Amino acid sequence: MTESTLALETRGITRVFESRKGFLFREVTRTEALAGIDLTVDRGAIFGLLGPNGAGKTTLVKILSTLLLPTKGTALILGHDVVKESEWLRPRIGLVLGGERGLYNRISGRENLRYFADLYGVPLSERERRITEVIDRVDMAWAADRRVEEYSRGMKQKLHIARGILHRPEVLFLDEPTIGLDPKSARETRKLVRSLVADGVTIFLTTHYMFEAEELCPEIAIISKGRVVARDTVGKLRELVGGDRTLEAEAYGFDDREVEALHHLPGVSKIVSEEFGPVSRLTLRVRTEETRPEHLRALLPNHPELSVRERRTSLEDVYLDLVEEEAH
Amino acid sequence: MATATAQFSRSRSTYAALRLSVLQFLADPQWLVPSMIAPVIFALVSFELFRGAGPYFLTYAILGAGMMSMWGQTLYGSGWATGQDREFGTLEPTIQSPTPYLYVVLGRVLWNVISGLIGGLIVYVVIVAVAGGPPAVPDPLAFALLFVFVMVTLASVGVVFAAFYVYTRYAGFIQNIGEFAFYIGTGCMFPVVLLPFYTNPISLVFPPTWGLDALRYLSIPGYHGFGWGFWGDLLGAIATTLAYLGLAGAVFHRVELHVLEEGNLSEY
Repeated sequence: MTESTLALETRGITRVFESRKGFLFREVTRTEALAGIDLTVDRGAIFGLLGPNGAGKTTLVKILSTLLLPTKGTALILGHDVVKESEWLRPRIGLVLGGERGLYNRISGRENLRYFADLYGVPLSERERRITEVIDRVDMAWAADRRVEEYSRGMKQKLHIARGILHRPEVLFLDEPTIGLDPKSARETRKLVRSLVADGVTIFLTTHYMFEAEELCPEIAIISKGRVVARDTVGKLRELVGGDRTLEAEAYGFDDREVEALHHLPGVSKIVSEEFGPVSRLTLRVRTEETRPEHLRALLPNHPELSVRERRTSLEDVYLDLVEEEAH
Repeated sequence: MATATAQFSRSRSTYAALRLSVLQFLADPQWLVPSMIAPVIFALVSFELFRGAGPYFLTYAILGAGMMSMWGQTLYGSGWATGQDREFGTLEPTIQSPTPYLYVVLGRVLWNVISGLIGGLIVYVVIVAVAGGPPAVPDPLAFALLFVFVMVTLASVGVVFAAFYVYTRYAGFIQNIGEFAFYIGTGCMFPVVLLPFYTNPISLVFPPTWGLDALRYLSIPGYHGFGWGFWGDLLGAIATTLAYLGLAGAVFHRVELHVLEEGNLSEY
């Protein structure tokens, strides 16, 4: 049998949650958390999944890590079905859900790892060495023998990550791994993620932090309301939302004729208007180099207070554009 | 980093769960009350309650208080620990591990049996000290062995109860409703035959009923329980215990599937 080059492949993954209320007359509410997700991730890649709260990111991660059954569709990890072959898959995948919960607080971090090493079947002869190795890797040697209840949020997050990599998984799911971490710890976590990829681990990462996704993930999917609204490299996603360059003009209100005039500038693909109290901001996505800040100033002569900025279209711009489009 | 895949071992996972239970017990002083102090109180109450009730009142007192201090710990301890897994958020990573959850529960049950036996021993020591001597038991070795087996009968029901805690976050509520009825219905404090006859079939569904009746046959000369004698009770206890353990195996598999369908592992 040829080994699949894909670490992950989903076809039409749908998940509907049912919530019930009432005692005698049960009222069932159905919520579609995922509505047909198709994704592929190559082995050894870092793949980023972005989306607003409630978009379905964690639901997808739980399905892929065998913690939740899909309502419809199939998902293969390392060529094996997450529903039918979960026993084969579980030792080969790692999951980091993070947060304050998920650890035994009254015992030490090291004892937590020892317990899960046993459940994951880490060879007994290697157990202590591996525990020390992952503790060092997340820079927690100084606190490993302290009770988890004494840990800060960031320390717990590191312990979650240590547990996730303890059994040396081939595919690691990281659900918002840097949430709640201070900038230094977050940077160290990103460094750790890169080192795991260098070791051959495939990473599936969900995050709210655009710069993090941009820094770590060559390929990104944006999910909104349970659907993948875009999936590509950051560069291609910039093109998708109308250009690599963004110009921002701020003044005390623009009239419709002025906005219309800006639309006719070369390369302008999209203009978004926002109000911040008395200040209006026009954000222009620009595909070419022809349109420059001075062109905007020339078209908006009646605003002495006008300020124009030029910057590179960020992943956050892409994300907001796509998610907003999906919402309308 | 990725290497040959690790394989879980049932016995190692069970031992890991037992070890975790011990560590958590030692880390939390609140456990001293149910495990060390409560048996002393139960022993004193039971001694006063049965004092003067025939020549074998000491045996009745020891069985009553012993069961009172052990049954909750052994029967419900495992279920309660699973409820804690929900609360701590550790149920998700545990279920996601390659180890079937049943083996984690078995490890906890083992610890609960051990701590239940420690409670039983405390009861015995207190009553012997208060009474000024041990009760007259015809065969102390057989009594001790059967006592341990009664713990196992309680534990077998405990494993099935633990499945409810995985199944739903409302298991604690169901347990609280059934707790007292189960305690009386299985004959923990006094023989089931003293209850109205129509309750007996329900009592006989539970392994501890048979085990406790066998224990009374063994320790109280002239005891006449259900009427099928010591061996009948012992066989009934073994058969129902095996049935519960078999049921637990089947139920756990189904329950694990159900929670993956429902996606309620992180609810508490």
